[in-house]
Amino acid sequence: MGIQQIFNGVTIGMSYALIAVGYSLVFGILRLVNFSHGSVYAFGATITLYLISFNFGIMPAIIAGIILTGLLNILIDKAAMEPLRKQGAASITSLITTIGISNILTNLLIVRFGSQRRQFPSLFPDKTMNLLGVDIQYTQIGMLLISLVLMVILVLVVNKTKIGLAMRASEQNMKAAKLMGINVNFVVSFTFLLGGISAAIAGVLVSSYYGMAYPNMGYVSGLKAFAAAVLGGIGSLPGSIIGGVLVGISESAAATYLGSEFRDSVAFIILIVVLIIRPNGLLGKKEIEKV
Amino acid sequence: MKRSKINLMIISILAVAMFVTACSGGNGNQQGSGVNNEDAVRVIVAGPMTGDNSEYGIGFANAADLMAEKWNAEATIEGKTVVVEKYDDKNSPEEAVTVANRIVSDGNIPVVIGHFASGVSMAAAPIYQDNQIIEISPSASHPDYSGIGDYIFRNNTVIHAEASASVDIAVNDLGKSNIGIISIMTDWGVSTSGIVKEIVENDFPGANIVAHEEVIEGSDDYRPAISKLNDAGADVVITVGMYNLVAPVARQYKEINPDIEIVGFSNAYSQQLLELGGEYVEGVAFPVIFFSQSDDPKVVEFVETYKNKYGNEPSALTAQAYDSVGIFLTAVQNVGYGDTAALRDEIANLEYDGVTGFTKFDENGDVDKSFTKVVVRDGQFGLLK
Repeated sequence: MGIQQIFNGVTIGMSYALIAVGYSLVFGILRLVNFSHGSVYAFGATITLYLISFNFGIMPAIIAGIILTGLLNILIDKAAMEPLRKQGAASITSLITTIGISNILTNLLIVRFGSQRRQFPSLFPDKTMNLLGVDIQYTQIGMLLISLVLMVILVLVVNKTKIGLAMRASEQNMKAAKLMGINVNFVVSFTFLLGGISAAIAGVLVSSYYGMAYPNMGYVSGLKAFAAAVLGGIGSLPGSIIGGVLVGISESAAATYLGSEFRDSVAFIILIVVLIIRPNGLLGKKEIEKV
Repeated sequence: MKRSKINLMIISILAVAMFVTACSGGNGNQQGSGVNNEDAVRVIVAGPMTGDNSEYGIGFANAADLMAEKWNAEATIEGKTVVVEKYDDKNSPEEAVTVANRIVSDGNIPVVIGHFASGVSMAAAPIYQDNQIIEISPSASHPDYSGIGDYIFRNNTVIHAEASASVDIAVNDLGKSNIGIISIMTDWGVSTSGIVKEIVENDFPGANIVAHEEVIEGSDDYRPAISKLNDAGADVVITVGMYNLVAPVARQYKEINPDIEIVGFSNAYSQQLLELGGEYVEGVAFPVIFFSQSDDPKVVEFVETYKNKYGNEPSALTAQAYDSVGIFLTAVQNVGYGDTAALRDEIANLEYDGVTGFTKFDENGDVDKSFTKVVVRDGQFGLLK
């Protein structure tokens, strides 16, 4: 059934969108592709599962996990990214550093928790309802709603608040923003916090959808979300959503009509095609060369 | 200035942490190499000690440790101690070739117990065969594995026998006839799903295959494949994969069709299946050679010692590794450790009575064993009635 597959694709696409937002936020300000983001997402899911095991309630555990992941992302910025910025290191140095952080984080998680998949509790009832011939699970509805609400909040934060204004100012010209009295380091940390939080929420939602979490879960998802971010236009929040959903649907369609083995390659095929035809992505702004 | 010092500190902490990680990996690779090689019978265990399938490799290593302890406590072979050395292949063919080359270059190793997956074992096997090293895999079940050479053995049934038993569960025990297959895209998965199809066509005239879906191992989202199987009208699904396929498939399938029956293979027989699958794997059935709740005194003793030492029950493949080490040590006891050719002949002719039943290799280096049918009931493994 075609509609069924599209709906499955939209659900998983929204979770890619949540991860993609983290790439977009950081890229917007620092012009840096933060490859540690996938492992931050895995950290969010794994640490939440660990907190849940203490039995102080699922909701408090999830909230604590999300906050911890946000703080971790700030720590990553303070420990590794900020010193590089201060030295005015080449952007390739920062890029490689983020890959290094990704490996460190994943391996520390494996050391602490082991690499096996572990059961993640369902956050929504395991029921399906039939809507116009499509079987929709409550988990899918929950995922969609939470992702949408979160996206709206993020867009509002960036466009309507003072800190959002500071973020946009830093995005346009970091030096000028600094001269205007904006604490750019704080803005960057705040951006990393937002990225970490959205990654952790995505991690929790996806783990609950698949019923499992493990330290290596961020690798492929992180790369696909990156493809989604580029597809939508990296740096643009609505672009991340469109990119994520498109990647999700095309994956689901590929798995159905071409076979499951094509699932993982289709995101990257789209990525390459988009980069050739529209290098700035679907909603990306034309790059203005700054002097 | 002060800021950057703090940063430096954090980075160095991270660096130290990374170093510790690397070290702990290194220790796992070669334990027991401190013992003088002259006085030791070296049991080489090669398998996935880290990574996705580490559960199985660690099971092999634990089994080898346990068997070595038993031999060291009871009888000594010509006054030598048995030491276990572990090599990590991460269940990847590339790593396995590296491991095999390291073992060959050691020059003093006659026997390797390993590797885990068929595809991985088959990547390493030609290297062992060329260098006259005996490989006993406790788990490889691909039809072509033992044909690689006369030094290549397996203490596992060839997949035909097991696939027959699985289809038998689906058709005769569960009474279903519309079979769906979901299989992982590895050497083993592709060949096994083909064999399942053949068996259904030739030996089970009442049943038919309604759909076959191939999936990438570890991709977590099996819903597209499941939707297709469900639309094709499958009432029983044979999952050709390990616990990390069976558990998510059971969960995701039961969300859209709570009545589906799921049949697996013996490599799903693992405590992890229950932990990962929870209530969703209830009713999942599969055939095994070794069942830990058997009342055979040898099995009871093995399961007890294993549980006391490692806290969980040994899986079928762990038991097969245990017997593989037993076969090797018995052969060493009979003909000594020095002459690999003599050791090979001895292993080929040995009749060994272990926890996985009676083992005697045939001319290909395969074994034939009888199956027990197991089902998940009330969160535990029980006999299928």
